[in-house]
Amino acid sequence: MLHVNNLTAAIGGKQILNGLNLDVGAGEVHAIMGPNGSGKSTFAHSLAGRDGYDITGDVTLDGADLLDMEPEARAAAGVFMGFQYPVEIPGVNNMYFLRTALNSVRRARGETEVGARDFLNVSKKAMDLVEMKEDFLYRSVNAGFSGGEKKRNEILQMAIMEPRLAILDETDSGLDIDALRIIAGGVNALRSPERSMIVITHYQRLLDYIKPDFVHVLVDGRIVKSGDHTLALHLEANGYADFENELGGASEQSLAGAQS
Amino acid sequence: MTASPTAIDPVVTGRAAALDWVESSGYPTRRTEAWRYAPHKKLGELSFGPPVTLTTNVPNIAELMPDLDGPRIVVVNGVVDVDLSMMISPAGLRLSSLLDARREQPDRLAVHFDRTDGQISDAYMALNLAFGGDGAVVRVDDGVKLDVPIHIVDVEVPDETRNASCTGVVIELGVGSSATVVETRIGVGAEFGGSNIRTTIALGENSSLEHVLLQNVPSSHVHLSNIDVTQGANSVLRARSFNLGALYGRVAYSVDLAGPGAHADLSGLFFGFGDQVLDQQINVIHSAANCTSRQTYRGVLDDASTGIFNGGIDVLRGADGTDAEQSNKNLILSDRAEVNTQPRLEILADEVACKHGATVGQLDESAMYYMRSRGIPAVEARRLLINGFADQVVDEVSLEAVRVWIAQRLGHEDV
Repeated sequence: MLHVNNLTAAIGGKQILNGLNLDVGAGEVHAIMGPNGSGKSTFAHSLAGRDGYDITGDVTLDGADLLDMEPEARAAAGVFMGFQYPVEIPGVNNMYFLRTALNSVRRARGETEVGARDFLNVSKKAMDLVEMKEDFLYRSVNAGFSGGEKKRNEILQMAIMEPRLAILDETDSGLDIDALRIIAGGVNALRSPERSMIVITHYQRLLDYIKPDFVHVLVDGRIVKSGDHTLALHLEANGYADFENELGGASEQSLAGAQS
Repeated sequence: MTASPTAIDPVVTGRAAALDWVESSGYPTRRTEAWRYAPHKKLGELSFGPPVTLTTNVPNIAELMPDLDGPRIVVVNGVVDVDLSMMISPAGLRLSSLLDARREQPDRLAVHFDRTDGQISDAYMALNLAFGGDGAVVRVDDGVKLDVPIHIVDVEVPDETRNASCTGVVIELGVGSSATVVETRIGVGAEFGGSNIRTTIALGENSSLEHVLLQNVPSSHVHLSNIDVTQGANSVLRARSFNLGALYGRVAYSVDLAGPGAHADLSGLFFGFGDQVLDQQINVIHSAANCTSRQTYRGVLDDASTGIFNGGIDVLRGADGTDAEQSNKNLILSDRAEVNTQPRLEILADEVACKHGATVGQLDESAMYYMRSRGIPAVEARRLLINGFADQVVDEVSLEAVRVWIAQRLGHEDV
């Protein structure tokens, strides 16, 4: 479904991603773990289409070339990224924003738009999923939300947008255990055979709640090791030092591992 | 500039003196701080004088103004149009044309029109005093709380004489009364011309007024608004201005907190396109003790437009316990647009809390990206951000019909 082939990304002349390869099949959940500065967020934003990146390589989703598309076209193609730092938009009502987003995507796909009343029903279901109160809908997007509320709002958006590919960028950062449980519960409820997920995290903790099919270790802009969920436990016990030391001579071999 | 002194209406008292004032003091220039960014050459091409009778049919104005139920006075080219007006007065409201009121009770209105030399701020105010014979008078009796808004509509239809009409509006609220007054300024046609409107407001003790100013004249017009407010003890003013139209649109408030415990809450939006110049000149004068004031102004400047916010807070001797705030935030949408923002604070009293702040920024790129990543096209995301910025002022208007009208002017239907 998603094919990432030899992806490189530089920001302001600084190379961040150094030939990243990844294949994600339909319905699979892939975790990407790595130390700070390894390029995890850059990878997420490269898929979502942030401006200002110099990118080479190939990325296709269901055969369509993502790198050619504007961010809004990627969303219409089924990409959704949950932000590590959701942006506050004062003055823009959350419900209006969500409905505009959903209808923009539906319009781009040639589908009929959802009216205000139907949308309220859709959003209420999604809100139950992340245990949000209705007044969230009437507040400005993320403005004055706590860290946990912002992350729940991301999952709420994901539930409403029903993406083909969800990329969750450090959705667990800054959450207490209760918030983590709510978010993970929302994510798990949204797992389906048609939906793939890339869960980016620094800590293994999130993976206790969202059990991935595959775990990849990202170091210095490359995937240096791939495995099943037990790899995350290994990282929890031993840290990233093993893989950072492997860099250089070992990277070719690790890349091969990531392709498997 | 031609200023014809020939008197055709009966309200000529003070006209000669006002014209003398213009003669001796002259017109403001670029060196006059409050007029620094005004297009003086264009202003000089206007012809001020007694009302110019409309030679064409009165245009259909219903489409140009918010749809408000209730009493309405419509002034066309400086003269009240009785047919377009709805001179209904619920109990406790006295509504009349300025011309009638000045004929019937000249002394009663003297407080609004008798100005000594030192009380005339500039030549345009003097011209308004000289030629502003007609307009609207709104009086609310003591203790009356009006639940319908009063709508005062000024329509300018300039002809080839480049006429600028002068109109006077008087609003008086009795002790303990409350009212909402909406002043809509519109125009028709592509001729160059202008309007010079002076509103004087007197708020009795414990009264409360929401005053909304909607300036949306055609872009071939110059518009000058002057709003002088005197507030009695514990009165509340909520002033909301929307400076949207005109090649030069000027909104000047002078608010005197004359009675202790009074509160003035002023907010406004200026939204410029093309080469519009939109000027806000705000002066809040704390004369009495324990008054509070708030100024919240937002500017959105696109294309080669210019916005001006010149906001003053004067705390006079004896106005102890003053609490005054001022904020001006601006959004610049083009390389060629500019904004000039200047706070002026003068504090001569004790135990005063005074704060002010101004920002000038561009569209938040991270918010643009966030919205686009949710599938919202760039054009729509931009519109949402701009409206979100503007709506924080729009939302302060209590009348839904007015909010809808503004939203439509700003290009979005949802409020």
